[in-house]
Amino acid sequence: MRAGGTGGAQVTRLDRALGLAAAVAATAGIAWASSIRVTPHASQDAVLRLAWTARPERVEDCRPQSEEALEKLPPHMRQAVICEGTTASYRLEVRREGAVIVDQVVRGGGLRHDRPLYVFRDILLPAGEAAVSVRFVRIDSKTTATSGGGARAASSDRDSSGHADDSQGTNAMDPERRRRETEERIRQRGESVPASLSLERRFHFVAHEVILVTYDAGRRGLLAIEEPSR
Amino acid sequence: MLRTIERLARRLLAATDAVGNRWYGWRFNPLYQSGTIVVALYLALVVTGLWLILFYRLGAPWESVASLTANLWLGNWVRGLHRYASDAAVVATAVHAFRMFAQGRSWGARALAWVSGVLLFLLLLVCGWTGYVMVWDTFGEDLARESARMLDALPLLSEPTSRAFTGERPVPGAFFFIVLFAHIGIPLGMGVVFWLHVKRLARPALLPSRPLMWTVLGLLTGIAVVRPLLMAPKANPFVLPAEIPVDLFFAFWMPVTRDLGPGAALTTIAAAAGALLLVPLVAARRGAAAPAPSRVDEEICTGCLQCSLDCPYEAIEMIERTTSRSELVARVDPSLCVSCGICAGSCAPMGVGPPGRTGRDQVARVQAFLAGSDRRSGHVVAICCVHGAAVSSPALEAEGAAVYRVDCAGNLHTSVIEILLRGGAGGVLVLACPPRDCWNREGAHWLEERVYHDREAELQARVDRARVRIAHASAGERQHAVTVLRRFAADIATLGVPAADRTIEVDAVCEPEEPAVRR
Repeated sequence: MRAGGTGGAQVTRLDRALGLAAAVAATAGIAWASSIRVTPHASQDAVLRLAWTARPERVEDCRPQSEEALEKLPPHMRQAVICEGTTASYRLEVRREGAVIVDQVVRGGGLRHDRPLYVFRDILLPAGEAAVSVRFVRIDSKTTATSGGGARAASSDRDSSGHADDSQGTNAMDPERRRRETEERIRQRGESVPASLSLERRFHFVAHEVILVTYDAGRRGLLAIEEPSR
Repeated sequence: MLRTIERLARRLLAATDAVGNRWYGWRFNPLYQSGTIVVALYLALVVTGLWLILFYRLGAPWESVASLTANLWLGNWVRGLHRYASDAAVVATAVHAFRMFAQGRSWGARALAWVSGVLLFLLLLVCGWTGYVMVWDTFGEDLARESARMLDALPLLSEPTSRAFTGERPVPGAFFFIVLFAHIGIPLGMGVVFWLHVKRLARPALLPSRPLMWTVLGLLTGIAVVRPLLMAPKANPFVLPAEIPVDLFFAFWMPVTRDLGPGAALTTIAAAAGALLLVPLVAARRGAAAPAPSRVDEEICTGCLQCSLDCPYEAIEMIERTTSRSELVARVDPSLCVSCGICAGSCAPMGVGPPGRTGRDQVARVQAFLAGSDRRSGHVVAICCVHGAAVSSPALEAEGAAVYRVDCAGNLHTSVIEILLRGGAGGVLVLACPPRDCWNREGAHWLEERVYHDREAELQARVDRARVRIAHASAGERQHAVTVLRRFAADIATLGVPAADRTIEVDAVCEPEEPAVRR
C-alpha cells in the first residue's frame, strides 16, 4: 500500500480461503472442459464412404485450324486442333439390397465445372451383411449437336488418334509440335474417368467402421478398401 | 437493445468484481487483469511450446506426441501446462472482451484495440486448432475433417481439402508441415497484432502483478501434474470413434456447425466473427451522446507537458507555439482522445479538458454544489466516480455524507478538494475505482500521485491531508464504501470543525514532472 489512500476492502482469512478454493475449482474446471468425452457417432451404424476424384470427360467441338489461320499466329501459339466445350456430368447411384439409397448428379469442380470432379459421401448403413452396388455413369454421352461440320460429343468417343485431321500435313506447323499436341490430347483423354464405372459386392459392415469405395486411376475402375486390420 | 445488453453486462460485472475484490483484494483480482493474464499465458505457451517442438516428428506425429506424453516428468506435465494455458488464455480473453464491451470501451479511439483484440482471439483459436491437429489423434482428425468440410464450401482450392482425410491415401506429410508451420507462425503474427492492440495506449500494462501471475501459472502447472494428460487413440479414417475427447474451449463451435451444411456452417462462423468485429460501429455513441474530446485553451496553456505526460491514450502532443507566451502548446488529437478528462486533472492552470469538465468548469460546479448544500459545517463530502462508488450514493447519503459525482477520479482537479474543505466540509473522501479497473486506465493512479506525491497539479501543501482520503470501491461494493466512509467520518470527528474560507488561488504555473512508474 502506498502512502495516502486506504486501498480497497480488507481480505479476511475466510475470504482468502474461499478465493483459493474458487481458483482451484476454476482451474479444475478448465482441465475438465479441456477434455470432455463426446459421442459424435452414437449410433451403431457403419459407414460406406464414397470418395474419389477424377477428371471428367470433355464434351466439346473440335475443329482443325486452317493453314492461313495458323500462319497468322506466332509459332509458339499454333495449335492444329481447337476444341471448345464443357465437361461431362455423371450420375452416381448407390443401391443397397436393390434399393436406391443415393442418386445424385456429379459435375466437375469450379464455377465453370472444368475442374476435376470430386465425390465424397458418407452413407450410414446398419451393421451386417449387405449387397451394395455403386454405379457412376456419364450422362452427356450422346452426340448432341453439330457445329461447323465438327461433331459435338464426349471426346473419348472419338477416334483414338485424337482427330481425323491430325494426320493432314501442314506447312505452318512443326511436325514435332503437332505430334506433341496429339499426344497431349490422348494423354488428357486417358486421364478422364471412364464413361461408366460400377462396383457390385457383398460387404460385411461392422459398427463404427468405414468401408471406402474409391476410384483407382491405374486400373480405371472402382475399388473397395476396408480397415487394413480387418 | 445494445444499451440494455451493456447495462445488464455491467451489472453482472459489478457483482463478479465485488466477489473478486472480497476474495483477492483489488490488487490481485484476476477479473481486473484478464488482459495481462493472457499475455502471461502467451509467454508460458511460447516457453512450453519451444520445449515440446523439440520432440515433435512430422513423419510420426501421433507416435512422437504419445512418446512425449508417456514421459511423466519431462513431457506430460509440460504438455499439460501448454494445453491448459491455452484453454485459460481463451477464458481470459473472453473475460477481457466482455469487460471492455460492458464498460463501453470498444468504440471511437478504442476501436483499433477492439478489432485487433478480436483478431487476436481468432488467431488464438486457429493456433489452438493447429495444435490439436498436430497431435493427429481422434480429436485432431475430427477438427480437421469438420474444418475441411467448411473450407471446401469456398470455391478457392482446385481440389477439396477433405480428400486428404478420406482414407484414399495416407495424410500427406506436407499437411503436417503446413500445420506445424502455422502453429509456430501464428503466434509470431499475434505479436504484431498485439502491438497494434496496445499501440494507442501510453505505458500499457503488459503483465499482471507478479503474485497473481505466478499463482495462475502455478495452479495450471499443479493441475497438469495432478491430472496427467491421456492420449486419445490415433486418427484412423476407417474407424468412427465412439467417443472423442473434445476441448470445449477450442471446439465450442463444432456442436453448432456439425449439423449444418458446409456453407451454412461457414456462414455462421463468419457471421459470428463479423458481429464481433462490428461491435465498435454498433456500440458507438453518436451526436449528443458522444462525449466531446478535450480542447486546449491556448491562452491559458503554459506548455508545461504535464497533460501530454499524463494522457493514458497518447492523444496530446506538444507543438511549437506561434505566439510568444511559451515555446510549446498542447494539442489534442480528437481521433485518439476518449474524453476521459485526465488532462483536466493534470493541468494546474486549468487550460485543457473536455468541454464542461475542465478545471475551471469543475471549480464553478463545486462552488455551485457548496452554495446549494444545506449540510452543516464539518460533514464529509464523498467524491464518487460515476462508474464505481456513485452507485452507492443513496447508502452514503444515508450515512450523512454529501455525494459529489465525477466522471473519473483522474478527471478531478485537486482544487475541487481544496474548495470543498474551505467551503466547510470536514473531510473529503474520494471513492475512486480500483486502479486496475479504471475505465480511463490511469485515473485513480494519477489522482493519488497528485494528492499524496506532489505530482504536478498537486493538492496544495496548505491543505490538511488528514481531511482527505482516497479509497477504492467498485460499483458492487456498497458495504465496503459505507465502511470506509464510517471510518473516515470517525477520524474526521476527532479533528474538530474547520473554519470555512471560500477564497482560493489557482496555480497559474506548473512544473512538469516525469510520470511515475505504474504499479
